[in-house]
Amino acid sequence: MTMTRVLPGPGSVAARPAAGPAPRRPAARCAVTLVAAGAAGAALLVAADRAAEWGRGSAFGLFWLGMLVGTLPAGYWATRRGLGASLRLAVLTGYAGFTYLPKLLRNPSGPLYHDEFAHWRQSRDILVDGRLFEPNPIVRVVGDFPGLHSTVASLATLTGLSIWQAALIVLSTAHVGLVLGVAVLAEEIWRRARVAATAAIIYSLNSSFLFFDTQFGYESLAIALYVWALVALYRAMRAAGARSRTGWAATTVLLTGATIATHHLTALALIGTMAIVALVVTARAAHTRVAVAAAAVAWMLTAAAAILVAAWLCWVAPRTAGYLDPYLGKAIDQFAGLAGDGGTGGRTLFRGSVAPWWERAAAFAAPACAAAAMALAGYRLWRRRGGDPVVRGTTLAMLVLGALYFPAAVLILTPSGAEGARRSWAFSYLGIALVVAPVVVAALDRAARRRTRALTGAGLLGLCAVMLVGNTAAGMNPSYRFPGPPVFGSDTRSVTPEVLAAAAWLRATQGRDLRILADRYSGLIFGSYGEQLPVTGSVSFPTYDLYLARPGQPPEPALLGQLSAWKFGYLVVDRRMAREVPEIQIYFETNEPIPHDGRPSFTLGQLTKFDTTPWTIKIYDSGNIAIYRFDFGSFGVPAAGGARR
Amino acid sequence: MTDCTAATLRLLAAAYAGLVILALAPAVPGLLPVVCGAVLLALGDLWLRALTGETVAPATRIGLAAMAGLVTLPLAAVALHVVGVPIRARALAAALAVLATGLGAVALVRARAFPADHAPRQLHLARPAVAVAVAGVLTAAVAVPAVLAYVRLPHPPLPGYTSLALGGWAAGIDRPVAIPARGLRVPIRISRAGDPSGTVPLRVRVGDRTVNARSVPVEAGATRSVEVYVPAPPGGCLHRIEISMGAASTVFYAHGPAGC
Repeated sequence: MTMTRVLPGPGSVAARPAAGPAPRRPAARCAVTLVAAGAAGAALLVAADRAAEWGRGSAFGLFWLGMLVGTLPAGYWATRRGLGASLRLAVLTGYAGFTYLPKLLRNPSGPLYHDEFAHWRQSRDILVDGRLFEPNPIVRVVGDFPGLHSTVASLATLTGLSIWQAALIVLSTAHVGLVLGVAVLAEEIWRRARVAATAAIIYSLNSSFLFFDTQFGYESLAIALYVWALVALYRAMRAAGARSRTGWAATTVLLTGATIATHHLTALALIGTMAIVALVVTARAAHTRVAVAAAAVAWMLTAAAAILVAAWLCWVAPRTAGYLDPYLGKAIDQFAGLAGDGGTGGRTLFRGSVAPWWERAAAFAAPACAAAAMALAGYRLWRRRGGDPVVRGTTLAMLVLGALYFPAAVLILTPSGAEGARRSWAFSYLGIALVVAPVVVAALDRAARRRTRALTGAGLLGLCAVMLVGNTAAGMNPSYRFPGPPVFGSDTRSVTPEVLAAAAWLRATQGRDLRILADRYSGLIFGSYGEQLPVTGSVSFPTYDLYLARPGQPPEPALLGQLSAWKFGYLVVDRRMAREVPEIQIYFETNEPIPHDGRPSFTLGQLTKFDTTPWTIKIYDSGNIAIYRFDFGSFGVPAAGGARR
Repeated sequence: MTDCTAATLRLLAAAYAGLVILALAPAVPGLLPVVCGAVLLALGDLWLRALTGETVAPATRIGLAAMAGLVTLPLAAVALHVVGVPIRARALAAALAVLATGLGAVALVRARAFPADHAPRQLHLARPAVAVAVAGVLTAAVAVPAVLAYVRLPHPPLPGYTSLALGGWAAGIDRPVAIPARGLRVPIRISRAGDPSGTVPLRVRVGDRTVNARSVPVEAGATRSVEVYVPAPPGGCLHRIEISMGAASTVFYAHGPAGC
């Protein structure tokens, strides 16, 4: 984003004189306005979180009021005509910084989301042991993609900051970098600063922007690298000479390599996006017989990225395919079920959600708004054929990328596809942002009179508000967005002092890196703060069968043999599994063969049977959480007062 | 010496100075993160000078330098991993210094070979950089008080608990315990948090018999150790030993001195 010049494109209205005199000292006015709005917005966000945790007042209303108060003035300033380049850059930086605040307030002092525990643990291991690529007990492939946690651990090592402080610095930098990256990419394509700023703001409306791509998770850094790799790719395609092209190609490879080392899905999305760009630019080159060099560069860099990804997945992270495959396969099965046998594979949107009606309505309105905007953008592109073939090819590629948002939105109707759909929106929204931004600016410019312009601006800001509210509501459950009382079976609210104390006791008395069996939620704490190696079960290692066995029913000898051979030492039992239903309908892992019919799937007898089996020594109990030590040598030995098995 | 060469040398000097501070200086609050940020930005700019050597718009340059600087850290960490060196502050600083030297050398060679590429490099970078910095400071001025206020304001109390655990040598019990005829004193650890102080019944069962029962005081927010007397089981066969305190209990297995 040069923001130092405004080069009107064919038919652009950017060259029209700005209506009215330019404001005096716009920087000071802008700073005062945005700081005041930001402070008010931040106060409302704090009030929203307090309303949520104390269970009084409207947390949702306060939250969105705070967001709108904090962001809409920035949206106004960023898209304002006649603003200086540096000031616009500052506004976007401030906007990006403010939009990091909701997640920062959600958990300012430590990990909270599921993947955050995994990355926190991985970073801590590097800090303690100084080694990369160690297996991660919470998300098994995390260790194979060291980009984020090695950055965080290195920063912590060099500066003396804590893991969490270092993570906040890296993540907030990546978040600001993401917004500026989208703006720079838009500026490279459209050569108009207002369009660039508008594209950045439209991109920030996507469902992952506020909470998902700000978490301590590998995608939060990778998405920024993804956008900047596309900036470098575009410059490589546009480069005038061989030396310049080589330089930008090398920059693309550097950023692509960093993306691959950071996150598998983002790396695959990057290859996909590069391939779309290469394909469309090639089609344009074939049609116009120019831009052949640009197409060749795009293909070469796409091939380089694909080779890097393939090499990484083959030699460094061979477990990744096995990790991703069940999600994809199950999503396809569920989608087929949705279409084929009366919709049995589907899920009901917002089932049991505490989100207010207007948030749900906005969630359904947001894709419709996006569809309308994309239709207008497509029509505009169709009307304005010609021009630079690389620019034209790239914009058409972004149209294709943006259009992928809609089929992915259908996947939200399947439980397993929903995860992938939500993740894909962060990529497809880049396409939407880049092609819709000129339409928005054109709409603003078309309004000739001051009153009409104000109405158009207010209408567009209102649409942005609907899309921000709706997309965020569709992308994140309220328990991820707001604090509240502890909830059993919630990834974000199941941490209690009781579980933390149990994990601390085990580490203090028995040491770290112990192999333990646990449920998903205990496993998060024992595997992170507890520094243990919990296993929560899988199809090939169904440790949950131990919990499911009826009292008196012997466990499978093969399972017991595996546990003994692999030196599993401890078993953690959360007795709430017999009293409560997990909020997210998972006890151990997503593919568990455990019925979820609205009632607890375990009886108290199933969970307390270990109190009477001589091969499980109960060394800790705090009411809900019990820790047993395995003594496989005593299996089958009768004991007075106990059971044999 | 051209402006570009001088600027590259200044960047290199800044990077080296920063790395020396990061490797050797004691942890002064607030200093090292700022130094580290400056070093990474310098390294990021060296990447751009080495790879593209081109004039780009300020926002592009700032953003690319920040991203390239950030990815330098994992690159250095992976390089250390490959050569088998643990990731520690001095090793990282050394790796970053080697990388800076390499990038600086390439940038200098490039500037000398193709001076035309580098001529107008210093265009208006200061103003946008200051704009980003000021925006960052103002955002922090808004965000940090909000976060501090939220953290320091009172929060609803979390549910309390009382825990019972085998303590001392007993925490290491991993097989049936042999109890001598005189019995055994088993250390246990009692902890309570979030619940009020009170008295709880402590009970010892050997097999199906209750052999010891008394009340013990438990203080809120405190952890205490207690020794519990466990008599020898009546025979040498395996017996279940349960020490319970309210709803919580510990269980281990033991046999007495007699034969089974």
